[in-house]
Amino acid sequence: MPRALSQRLFAFAGVLVVAAILGFLVLPAVVVALAAFNGRAILSFPPETWSLRWFVKALAYEDFQAGFRNGLIVTGWASSIALLVGAGFAFALDRYRFPLRGAIEAVLLSPLVVPHFTVGLGFLIIAAQVGLARSFTTVVACHVVLVLPFVLRSVYVSLRNLDRRFELAAASLGASPGKVLLTVTLPLLAPGLVSGWLFAAILSFNEFTASLFVTAQRTQTLPVAMYNYVREYADPSMAALSVMYIVATATLLTFANAYLGLGKVLNVEHAR
Amino acid sequence: MIPAAAPRVDAQPFLRAFVSPAALCALGLIAALAAVLQYSLRAHIPGSLDAGAFTLANFTALLKPLYARVFLDTVWICFLTAFFSLLVGYPLAYALVRTSNVLVKSVILVTSVTPLFLGEVVRTYSWIIVLGNNGFVNTMLLKAGLIERPLQLMFTTFGVVVALVHVTLPVMVIMLAAALAHIDRDYERAAGTLGAGPVRAFLTVTLPLSTPGIIAGVTTAFAWTFSAFATPQLIGGGQVNMVSNLVYQLGFASFNFPFAASLSVAGLALTFAVLGLLRLAARPLERMGPH
Amino acid sequence: MPAERMAPAAANVVPLLGRQDIAVRLDGIVKRFGDVTALQEVQLPIRRGELMTLLGPSGCGKTTLLNLVAGFLSPDRGDIAIDGEVVTTVPPHRREIGMVFQSYALFPHMDVAANVGYGLRMRGLARAEIAARVAEALALVKLTGLGDRRPRQLSGGQQQRVALARALVIRPKVLLLDEPFSALDKSLRGSMQVEVKEIQKQLGVTTIFVTHDQSEALSLSDRIAVMSDGRIRQCGTPDEIYRRPADRFVASFVGDANVLHARLERFEGASAIVALGAARVAVPADALSGLAAGAPVDLFVRPEQLRIAEPGQAVATQGIVATHVYQGGHVDLYADVAEMAHGRLLIRLPGHDAIARWPVGARIAVTLGDAETVAFPRGADAAPLASGNGPAQT
Repeated sequence: MPRALSQRLFAFAGVLVVAAILGFLVLPAVVVALAAFNGRAILSFPPETWSLRWFVKALAYEDFQAGFRNGLIVTGWASSIALLVGAGFAFALDRYRFPLRGAIEAVLLSPLVVPHFTVGLGFLIIAAQVGLARSFTTVVACHVVLVLPFVLRSVYVSLRNLDRRFELAAASLGASPGKVLLTVTLPLLAPGLVSGWLFAAILSFNEFTASLFVTAQRTQTLPVAMYNYVREYADPSMAALSVMYIVATATLLTFANAYLGLGKVLNVEHAR
Repeated sequence: MIPAAAPRVDAQPFLRAFVSPAALCALGLIAALAAVLQYSLRAHIPGSLDAGAFTLANFTALLKPLYARVFLDTVWICFLTAFFSLLVGYPLAYALVRTSNVLVKSVILVTSVTPLFLGEVVRTYSWIIVLGNNGFVNTMLLKAGLIERPLQLMFTTFGVVVALVHVTLPVMVIMLAAALAHIDRDYERAAGTLGAGPVRAFLTVTLPLSTPGIIAGVTTAFAWTFSAFATPQLIGGGQVNMVSNLVYQLGFASFNFPFAASLSVAGLALTFAVLGLLRLAARPLERMGPH
Repeated sequence: MPAERMAPAAANVVPLLGRQDIAVRLDGIVKRFGDVTALQEVQLPIRRGELMTLLGPSGCGKTTLLNLVAGFLSPDRGDIAIDGEVVTTVPPHRREIGMVFQSYALFPHMDVAANVGYGLRMRGLARAEIAARVAEALALVKLTGLGDRRPRQLSGGQQQRVALARALVIRPKVLLLDEPFSALDKSLRGSMQVEVKEIQKQLGVTTIFVTHDQSEALSLSDRIAVMSDGRIRQCGTPDEIYRRPADRFVASFVGDANVLHARLERFEGASAIVALGAARVAVPADALSGLAAGAPVDLFVRPEQLRIAEPGQAVATQGIVATHVYQGGHVDLYADVAEMAHGRLLIRLPGHDAIARWPVGARIAVTLGDAETVAFPRGADAAPLASGNGPAQT
């Protein structure tokens, strides 16, 4: 297919720019990987010797293990609660009229704008006053509030894309509202709910700033444990942990893209 | 806000069940923010976590040049980050939306979105390894003979902004891509038939129609960056301080929660002010977008 | 004007007439999308000032052909020439074409005047001249005074006029219309079609028009190219297409047609005599060349050319009335008849008394009178498409 020379140069330049930007995005991950496999504690590029010792050390480190466990507990509770609360409210927002709906929605979406350190500080102060200082409850409550906006948006978008006529058909065939919800609405919303939950879980697991304020030594999540480690030690154990993190996340997202269609969830698919 | 003709309760089944938990969470959040507000207005009792009597001393203390400086620095860093994220993110979002190759699309999408899910600490740590004196950039430049001594990239505003751009880019790309995806391709084709080459068609049609996405992206980028903590903390290392770092220092180093609270309140007010200004500035631009 | 017919052997080649001025020439165009061949060796010369319609069902390649002329696609083989100049590698913005999209594609961030003037701005004309020509274009489409409205404030019909004005103000060499009326209400469509035709004639701009609606094609076109499966089946005036379809596809796609099993009796010069019942009709001989006398053929008869037989008239076929459809000015009468290739026989009778005279269940005898019909060898070519006669048959 013959095309004008200027068009091809243009396209080529475009490809270069995009490749450069992707390179920028990927650079830290690549560099961290190089550091993680380095046989020695001192950084060098490329590494003089290759080794897996930092991976072993990272996996054996007690604080990391505790942080991982705590993270799973907090995340499991927080994202599940957030899913239930968020999905229910999104449903009500989409279909129902009730007082204060705008206000509640605004407040629930505010963590997108309110800094996490403010939210963390606030929860810390309340917890101290109520005597729940830095217990798991506080941490979970804080995380629920922080990930709720994402769940809300994700479920809301799915609801908007849902064809109401399926529900009307079910009702005309004799299904009560509860039955319609269980047998028609929920199954159709499932992809949106799953991706909402996934988002919430990943964000909660990785949440750092607010967690720094509301966790204590025994409840600290993995990001907080990692932060403390970086401040004290300089060896590449963190690099090894980061690599495991990156690989796990990228794999998860690739699957999510393949099965759930990340593009659709993030609303970046073509309108036509 | 009860509508004039309130629908019958049974026309909205499970209303209470769906709304109550959410209302509860909203109350929780309001309580947390109210706690911050309350503490900001009370005196600090050194050595104790409780607060004393009501006072405005925390806010007047903010007027000291030291703290004003931190606020200005924060705003400046946020703008730089938002600006560069936009500059770097737009081509990527455009490529993501316009390419017909499914593999390329997936690669761009996953690559752009993955950093978003890695968490602040992992991302910041990676940049420490890239920017440090023994880090990747310096090692490469020294080997290539382009420099004789390592460049000081850590503990500088430059380093912090670069890392923050990396953090904000995914969000920017997602918002821009969402806006671009909804621009009908026929507009560009029509511009083409009317004599506009690819560049002119982009500048006169696609770019204006993507302004709502640009505004949403910049607004979100600003808010996100303001909330950043680990990045300025670890890469700034005390030399570059944003409001978030100051709040942490005051809260956990000096246990001066009231002052930390007042900083938070001021920061929040600042954020809302800037976002409000952005919205106002954006109003005439928003009319350009597709209806 | 002598009929342009396709010799069955050389499909898709539309012979060039005399020394007509050719504005757009498509030469041997081949276009593939993956394994699918969208266009196979398409050859089409379009005369200056004529309104050429590309007509066919979805998937026939008509929109692909339009996009090729516009420059949004490149052909795998073949050339496109506008005003004698080969433009196959020229990008759209340098082809001097005007296009009206199915969705109109009016820029939402500009008002009507800015939309219409866009092409002139791209050409670097002076502001005053742009304003003058925009006003001229708006007057042409009868939208004077709406220059400062936004597209979303206009009705569908008004939006279409703006799209037309925008395409015409740049004085394009070719005007391309991509199913422009499909988004309009039926009532609006008719009047818009007439207006567009008038403007086109007034300006004398060469126009290529894509549609799947055959009645639209028949009413607007100077010539129609009927397409299916990436080929042009027949290219000719609306009258030629309707009364002398070149093959089964064209005969059944354009207008309604009854397909009856008949027999070739004999050849008589340029015609062939076909026997159906007691009736005899003359059909063009070309399509039946090579067949022996007595060979079975399919006879295509338009519904409006059938009549209920009066005593003494030669009866072509008989049957039982199945249903009536009252259409206001005429009645569509459906009958079950043995010789139909598929479906029911459709007779279009003027007036409204058909319902009373031949009620459901009545036995009727049908005559061909002096109908102009065509016939094709039995069972050849593609299966008949769309424009069903009565209840669909599998």
